[in-house]
Amino acid sequence: MPANVQHRFLHVGGKKTQLMTLGEGPPLVYLHSAGGETEAIPFHHKLAEKYTVYVPAHPGFALSEGLNEILDIHDLAWHYVDLFAALELEDVPVIGYSLGAWLALELAILRPQLISRLGIIAAAGLYVEGSPMGELFIDDFNKLRELIFFNPESPAALETTPRNPDDSQMLMWLRAREATARVGWNPYLHDPKLPQHLHRVTQPTTIVWGRHDKMIPLAHGEYYAAHLPNATLQILEECGHGVPWEKCDETATLLM
Amino acid sequence: MKFFAFHLMPWDRLPADFAERYDSAWTTIPNSLYDPPHGGKLYNDYLDQLVLADQLGFDGVCVNEHHQNAYGTMPSPNLMASILARQTKRVKIAVVGNALPFYNSPTRVAEEFAMIDCISGGRLIAGLVVGGGPEYFSFSVNPTHARSMYREAFDLVLRCWTENGPFEHYGQHWKLRYVNPWPRPIQQPHPPIWIPGAGSRETIQFVAERRFAYMGIPYFHLDFFQRNFDMFRDACEKNGYTADPEQLGWLLPIYVAETDAKAWEEYEKHLWYFVRNLLKGLVIFPPGYTSARSIAGIQRGLQQFMTVCQTREDIERGGYAVVGSPETVRQKLETYAHQLGVGNLLGLFQLGTLPHELACKNMTLFAEQVMPHLRAIGKL
Repeated sequence: MPANVQHRFLHVGGKKTQLMTLGEGPPLVYLHSAGGETEAIPFHHKLAEKYTVYVPAHPGFALSEGLNEILDIHDLAWHYVDLFAALELEDVPVIGYSLGAWLALELAILRPQLISRLGIIAAAGLYVEGSPMGELFIDDFNKLRELIFFNPESPAALETTPRNPDDSQMLMWLRAREATARVGWNPYLHDPKLPQHLHRVTQPTTIVWGRHDKMIPLAHGEYYAAHLPNATLQILEECGHGVPWEKCDETATLLM
Repeated sequence: MKFFAFHLMPWDRLPADFAERYDSAWTTIPNSLYDPPHGGKLYNDYLDQLVLADQLGFDGVCVNEHHQNAYGTMPSPNLMASILARQTKRVKIAVVGNALPFYNSPTRVAEEFAMIDCISGGRLIAGLVVGGGPEYFSFSVNPTHARSMYREAFDLVLRCWTENGPFEHYGQHWKLRYVNPWPRPIQQPHPPIWIPGAGSRETIQFVAERRFAYMGIPYFHLDFFQRNFDMFRDACEKNGYTADPEQLGWLLPIYVAETDAKAWEEYEKHLWYFVRNLLKGLVIFPPGYTSARSIAGIQRGLQQFMTVCQTREDIERGGYAVVGSPETVRQKLETYAHQLGVGNLLGLFQLGTLPHELACKNMTLFAEQVMPHLRAIGKL
């Protein structure tokens, strides 16, 4: 594994922003999920075999600040317009997971020139009649693990959620939940206006979904595949919502 | 020491296997379990109990707002308070409180409270609350805005009562060109304000800063109250004054019967119905409801919440409820109230399945044989 993991802070539009970079090669931006995977996970390392991977923490996640100025997903997308400018990134591949995938789509609509191609993993962002999303904002970690992972007893499932209120991850976990709720409480993890803009996302797009996603059902992936002009849908078997952990290598192969 | 009879108006007919079959008495509890004709009877019994409190010489009665739950079937405490404004003669009517972020526009709270104050001849105590965690699910109001909505609405309600209208309100959450509520309250400059809290630092500091009264959210271990009330007194000192005991209120289930043994015999199964059914799912801190640091602290505090109790001894040791003969209840309340330094005792005399007659007997014994003694010990 090419380690070379670096953390630094930059100021983006007045917001202190935590940025991790790893790997070597051309730049690729990874937009994280509500889980706040802002420390290097195996999936990041996999991408870093070929790219310099940029993993910024959204406002309110990890040690990034500035949530006060974020009122909805569009404010978050505009923050990324500023962040790409600060990093002098343009026309680069962007991979987003769940909340981050929704964000990637909003950014692609707002500033298409920033993104060369898209990797969309188990994306939030839609309301699909008859296929409701699971309830993310619950306190019961066992139920949460069942919602997110195909195998809720797997080491990855146990590592990504705190075990109890005394867990040292707890404070960061609560911050991540707050930052997610800020943009995803109501409307619930989606933008009612997104469907009418999807035809503007013309970049080559690979959509990856777990067959057994209980958090965001596969029907959402199918909707994206049907409405994004240049997209293909890849369905992974024996996989839930926790795609980057549950199907790390396969997903990286599909997206690299 | 002032004595209030607090009412939740709880639902008393949950199925026997409720605790096993259902996740929560809140938000997602099927409302097919609600039986309207029985609901009508309950409301009338409960109002009778609060009218009785007036006749028994309580200083006040309390009603409160909850939505989509079996714990407290009072989505509009103002409806109940307005009935009580007519049916009682003397007691203070404390609405603890209206959940400001759920009123659109919150000027409605200023209006309705002013109505109750006028009808009652100036007997309203105005509770202004952030709203319980579960209600942010019930209304899909974003809890990460709870505090800023609350502060904005709170200031707006105060302006409604203290400034002449019409004026414009241009805030983050509400933009109102004409604010000019009719009527205005009798009590000037405004009715007394009570604010409940579960220990979040933000609420304690806010109440202390503005010299209002802080009501401790119930069903915690005595030590938890002690920490929060001490924190409140410290916050008052930091704001340059010493807290008056009447700025603090302590809410807890109370049951009085002729003897200790009889009290527990009559009460125990009703207490467990309350703890195991009605409190189930109560304490949910949705994200951003208060600061992450406060939530982390309160979640540790939940290890001292009544729902961890398994036995009568657990209840007694933690002071989660005070149960016994008049003598036992007198002694315990005197000791605890003194320790906690509270000037308002808010008793929960009916917590669900207690038959109406026993709830009335409980209140009567309390008023006749406990209250006079505690009054005699004077101001804490």
